[in-house]
Amino acid sequence: MRTPPFNLHFPTTVEEAIDISQKLASEGRSSDWIAGGTDLLPNYKWHLNPKGDVISLSSVAGLGEVSMHRIGAMARLSSLVANASDALVHTDATISPVHPIIAKAAGKVASILIRNNATLGGNICLDTRCYWFNQSEDWRSSIDWCHKCDCGTGADCRVIPNQNELCVATYQADIAPTLMVLGASIHLAGPQGQRSMLLSEFFQLDGMTRNVLQQGELVTHVSLPKDVEQWQGDYLKLSVRESWDFPEVGIAAAWKINPAGELIDLRVASTALESIPKLHSEAVAKVMQQGWQGQKSILEVAELVRQSIKPVKNTYLAPAYRRKMAKVLTKRILSQLE
Amino acid sequence: MEFIGRSIKKGEGHEGIGEAMVGEERISMIPTAPEVYWSALVNGQNIECHIESNAILLDVIRDEVGALGVKRGCDMGTCGCCTVLIDGEPKLSCLTLAGEVRAKEITTVEGLADGHHLHPIQDMFAKHGGSQCGFCTPGFLLVSSALLEKNNSPTDAEIKGAIEGNLCRCTGYQPIVDSIQAAAELMRTDAESVDSTTAKADPHPGFSGENEGGHTA
Amino acid sequence: MAEDDEQMKGYRQQPGKLPFRKPGSGGSKQFSDLRDLSYIPQSEGGDRPQPRGLNRHDHLLTSSSIGRRTPLIDSRWKVTGQAHYGDDVRLRGELIGKILRSPHHYAKIRSIDTSAAEALSGVECVLTGKNHTNAFGVLPVTKDEHALAVEKVRHVGDLVASVAAIDEATALQALQLIKVDYEILEPVHDMKKAIEDTENPIHDRGKYHIGEANIQKRVFQEFGNIAGVKDAAASSSVKWSFAGVNHGFTEPHAAVAHWDPSGRLTLYTPQQVPHYVHRSLADVLEIPMHQINVHRTFVGGGFGGKSDPFPHEMCAAIMARQTGKPVRITFDREEVFWTNRGRHPSKLEMVVHADASGRICGIETDALIDGGSFASFGHVTTYYNGVLHTAPYEIGSFHYTGARVWTNKPASGAMRGHGAVNSRCAVESAIDDVCEQLGVDPIAFRLANLLPPNSTTITGFRVTSIGMRECLERVREASGWDEKFRKMPLGRGIGIGCGFFISGSGLPIHWDPNKFPHATVHLKIDMDGGVTVHTGAADIGQGSDTVVGQSVAEVLGLPLEMIRVKSRDSDTSPVDLGSYSSRVTFMNANAAISAAMKIREELLAATADITGADPKRLIIGDRRIYDKKDPAVGVSYLEALHKAQEERGALVSSGAYRTPPMGSTHKGAAAGLAPAYSFSAYVAEVEVDAETGQTKVIEAWAAHDCGRALNPLAVEGQIIGSCHMGMGQVLSEEMVYGRTGNLQNPNFLEYKIPSIHEMPKVTPIIVESNDPEGPFGAKEAGEGPLLPILPAVVNAVYDAIGIRVDELPITPDRMYKRIEKKVRKLDVDSPLDLPNPTLQTSQLHDDLLIRAAAHAERDLARKLDVNRAPYHNGAIFGLKPEIAPEEQMDGWVISVLPSDEYIASPRPAGSAWKHVERRHREVE
Repeated sequence: MRTPPFNLHFPTTVEEAIDISQKLASEGRSSDWIAGGTDLLPNYKWHLNPKGDVISLSSVAGLGEVSMHRIGAMARLSSLVANASDALVHTDATISPVHPIIAKAAGKVASILIRNNATLGGNICLDTRCYWFNQSEDWRSSIDWCHKCDCGTGADCRVIPNQNELCVATYQADIAPTLMVLGASIHLAGPQGQRSMLLSEFFQLDGMTRNVLQQGELVTHVSLPKDVEQWQGDYLKLSVRESWDFPEVGIAAAWKINPAGELIDLRVASTALESIPKLHSEAVAKVMQQGWQGQKSILEVAELVRQSIKPVKNTYLAPAYRRKMAKVLTKRILSQLE
Repeated sequence: MEFIGRSIKKGEGHEGIGEAMVGEERISMIPTAPEVYWSALVNGQNIECHIESNAILLDVIRDEVGALGVKRGCDMGTCGCCTVLIDGEPKLSCLTLAGEVRAKEITTVEGLADGHHLHPIQDMFAKHGGSQCGFCTPGFLLVSSALLEKNNSPTDAEIKGAIEGNLCRCTGYQPIVDSIQAAAELMRTDAESVDSTTAKADPHPGFSGENEGGHTA
Repeated sequence: MAEDDEQMKGYRQQPGKLPFRKPGSGGSKQFSDLRDLSYIPQSEGGDRPQPRGLNRHDHLLTSSSIGRRTPLIDSRWKVTGQAHYGDDVRLRGELIGKILRSPHHYAKIRSIDTSAAEALSGVECVLTGKNHTNAFGVLPVTKDEHALAVEKVRHVGDLVASVAAIDEATALQALQLIKVDYEILEPVHDMKKAIEDTENPIHDRGKYHIGEANIQKRVFQEFGNIAGVKDAAASSSVKWSFAGVNHGFTEPHAAVAHWDPSGRLTLYTPQQVPHYVHRSLADVLEIPMHQINVHRTFVGGGFGGKSDPFPHEMCAAIMARQTGKPVRITFDREEVFWTNRGRHPSKLEMVVHADASGRICGIETDALIDGGSFASFGHVTTYYNGVLHTAPYEIGSFHYTGARVWTNKPASGAMRGHGAVNSRCAVESAIDDVCEQLGVDPIAFRLANLLPPNSTTITGFRVTSIGMRECLERVREASGWDEKFRKMPLGRGIGIGCGFFISGSGLPIHWDPNKFPHATVHLKIDMDGGVTVHTGAADIGQGSDTVVGQSVAEVLGLPLEMIRVKSRDSDTSPVDLGSYSSRVTFMNANAAISAAMKIREELLAATADITGADPKRLIIGDRRIYDKKDPAVGVSYLEALHKAQEERGALVSSGAYRTPPMGSTHKGAAAGLAPAYSFSAYVAEVEVDAETGQTKVIEAWAAHDCGRALNPLAVEGQIIGSCHMGMGQVLSEEMVYGRTGNLQNPNFLEYKIPSIHEMPKVTPIIVESNDPEGPFGAKEAGEGPLLPILPAVVNAVYDAIGIRVDELPITPDRMYKRIEKKVRKLDVDSPLDLPNPTLQTSQLHDDLLIRAAAHAERDLARKLDVNRAPYHNGAIFGLKPEIAPEEQMDGWVISVLPSDEYIASPRPAGSAWKHVERRHREVE
């Protein structure tokens, strides 16, 4: 399969990367960043919203850092995974420079071969997915395109017909919910300078807008709060196969327990259920307010998570099922808090 | 952007390539990306060529370098047939931009053997049925050779983790795991594989004098 | 004796002394190895036990190769990257071909404007269907395909036009410039709808058209004591739905066509059946077959998916002819899905009845199968869905209605286990249900209902060897069945499934010229002693080159490295019908043995000539032919060869195989008829997560009767690989057609072939029943091993959670739906509170154990006694085994036409018979 033609640029600094993007924009040329390429290149091969210029971040210095409190956008997923390609299993969290929940989620992404190329930034910014959209150009022409890649036709959404306002393509990346429950912030650099925000504020509810990134802006790194080591938790992924597949449901949870063994803080986030990953702060707050009551509270949180998400039929498994499984997975993760 | 028409690469006599004339009307350009210089060390050999700036490594390796042992199975990162080693690390060449691996060391299946001495992993895939139709084999060989390079006594679980990105439709994977274990053992003992060019059986053998069970001469 | 010794004296070789060097000699291993007696049968003076009796090839065993774990002879090409598959054939000056495909499910082509594409510089040829209207197809009775669509497109992805250009970019650009004017027609996606009359049937069969419907083929079969089912003590009735599945071979289709300066065409293609492509090319190109050389490249997996002649092969040939340059066409993965030929999506109604004595008194099957838009192998598939579940059990009656319909989908076709897989899954699951109702262990039930060796099935198939009993016994043992079945906690289960499959098809697809052999093998040996084997058998990774080479090596007592198999070019290979219906080992190895036997005779005669020894006392050992009582009297293989070559040069021989006459005479009797059948029994252990519906196979024990494992390494590879493929169909693989009728997942991310993590540990168990007609006793091992894994898993799921699956694949969402339903039905709080199925064995269970033990003795006796009487299916119901049941029982039906009564209230596929063929309507 051939990607549409594009010019490939190789900046060596963040500033240069932004400059190139700006210069292209000023000439009316749009561009994409490419990090690991494992999301962008399949999409380009299928001619999904390709741009005429692609700016590679592979040569940009300083984006590959991996540590407990800071992970660069260009950090390869395999380097986040404790048992990366060297097949050495480190179950001991002290050896891993990355929080074990993040490492676990990173290790669940696609396959080891994908993880050898894929990056954290790319995973966070993963394009939303839909089985009317992630198809070849020929295929999409056979359904007269769709809203997310309408090829200038103004085509309707194929999931929720008779409208072309909202795109409901699903965000199916694994790592974001784990970063969210650990209170991670995301750091961006762009023509207007640098800015940062909680990761939970980074995403924007529309399958096409996806996030707050502006033209010329890119993710440089994520940072984790000082107390992140004191948070424990887990990430559970439901997919048909253990290799290759995107999550059909992904739930992350993290909690803090005081020396007396009491639960003092809890966060739950979900992915693969809507167009953005979601931090379920309200649901958790509502239950926590009443004081933690073990299994009863767990079930309440799980039920509230289920109620707050509305998957649509555009991934492999049925939406009603995925919604119910969000509850089951939440329950399973939190069962450690009974 | 404006794409320049590509220069003539194949065949001759294609003047004005990239344009089509219907009557007096110029109707189309073949959009191709500009060509750039590319070089890499492929299987120990320095390769230099011109590629389109957006070229995918798999296409460059097959069509320009000519290493046809690198296979195109799905072209989308879900079969692993196109795996190559880049500076020793297994990568999907179908999802790698050639431009991003300039001047790197690339190993394909053609670079595994030492002359007619097969790499232990090649020898054992043949011996233990790790290869049936053979199409996924190059990818498996490369990921497992990279694994064994770092860890010559892997557990079955570690092997599974290493080959999870490779799809095999024939073997059910089990003979592949067996082959990798057998190769690991060979590598631990530094056993050398047989040169396939050594003399084969003599069609005119003598009688050694030995006799099969019980019969007397 | 003394005289003999005297005569032989001159040829006695001094032990340990090398003979005088001859031209062509030299090399390693300068002394002949002893025969390994553990590979020589006891009847031939060796140590190999023969519990299943003698075999006609016993005397040919030399302990060279047969029965040894043998690496594939082409494996070194594969592991070094030097195996060249379709897209690896790169000819100088090649053009790249690309295909324009239909964006519509169903449309008439009003016009195609190719002028802009033709004008594009770099484009050398633009092809449409209008000048290439000769039809082709794998079956001579249903040639319904063309190089490119002639007047209609029949599915999204159907071929409309093709382009050859100097490179891929130009070819792709040219496709964009082709303007097609379509008149869109109303598509049919639903197979039930396809049975109805319509204005625009997808094909027109002329006077043979059934009604005005989209019915491609219909079958009706009734055998046995149909009335007997009213005595059933237990019945299981399930309406099944099976999704279509794709072969998922890793190598996409590719073809390279080249016309050489002499005007002959060579087509390079990864094909399972080069010969049918050969015939089709001649039809389409309107040239004689001798003007074409079909070169089979290495084949990156086939599984049935590369066994049709394909339109793109025709396009490559036509475009190469028009341009005078080689043309290479390679598919994307998506195009592979458009080409499909995978397993049919099917709606199956299966009813199994058992009487109070625990006998299967009736099987009723109605199979509506979705053929997509072309016939492909569909004629055969429609029969196979029925007839391939009439064994290994004795059955009282069999009622089958089958219909294959056209819909606007990519064509279904032959896939590993062709036609047998879905109905096998349904029947084995129903037997499990019946056993549950009768309170008997399902393995005990099966053991008490098996056909014996050398028997005739209800539809008249001749069964020779049958290792079913041993398969069942060995998996029961290996899996720890008796400790596990119905005894494990909720969510954990174990299940059994059986199957049988044809070992080659009794009637070849093309039976002209008359009495043409199914397989032919040529040997050529010149003074160097190496043996060149010419066979047309298509090695698709299963190891056919290896097994043919092994057979020759074995008979001639040579190491395998002295054999070179040439199987690629139709110019040099004798005609072979191809790698389908699991025919290659059985037929080609038989042909190879017969060719090698001719050479063997000549070598023995030459040895007798040199030594003066009694030829009857000569045996072939490792590269040496000698007196079996006095090994010092003998000559090397090369000496004998050179003697045999005197005055004539190279030794050549030809061996052929044709099936013996067999089977019944009713219409369709040939479908499913085979010279031998393989049998298998699997046990699978699964885990079902009651809360999520996720099913995981933990372990499988797979016993397969392949007659004799010529290459145990390859047989085990086939068994484990079959488990993987079958497990994919049970758990995750599905061609998903969405609400618009589009195939939603034509890629390997969403078409979910199990990864290594889903693959359980499989213990392959080889059972050797010693087939009387198989090569050295062998039968097939490529397709039969797939069948039992599906029902084994399905039955294990029932054991785990008490839910009878009726839809494949069991994706977690489907499973969860059924769990929820059960939770509601039983009014329990959570899936974790669901009850576990239990087994309370009845008196019948004990009776069956006794019957099974008696049958075991009967079977062994029938196996070993060459003077055995015939045994017809039905004896278990009290009929005389020696006489055909229809000759001794009035109510015993053999019917291939439905009665008016049936047509009045048919099952879904049976309703195809409501239509009248046009020719009969015209008569009215």
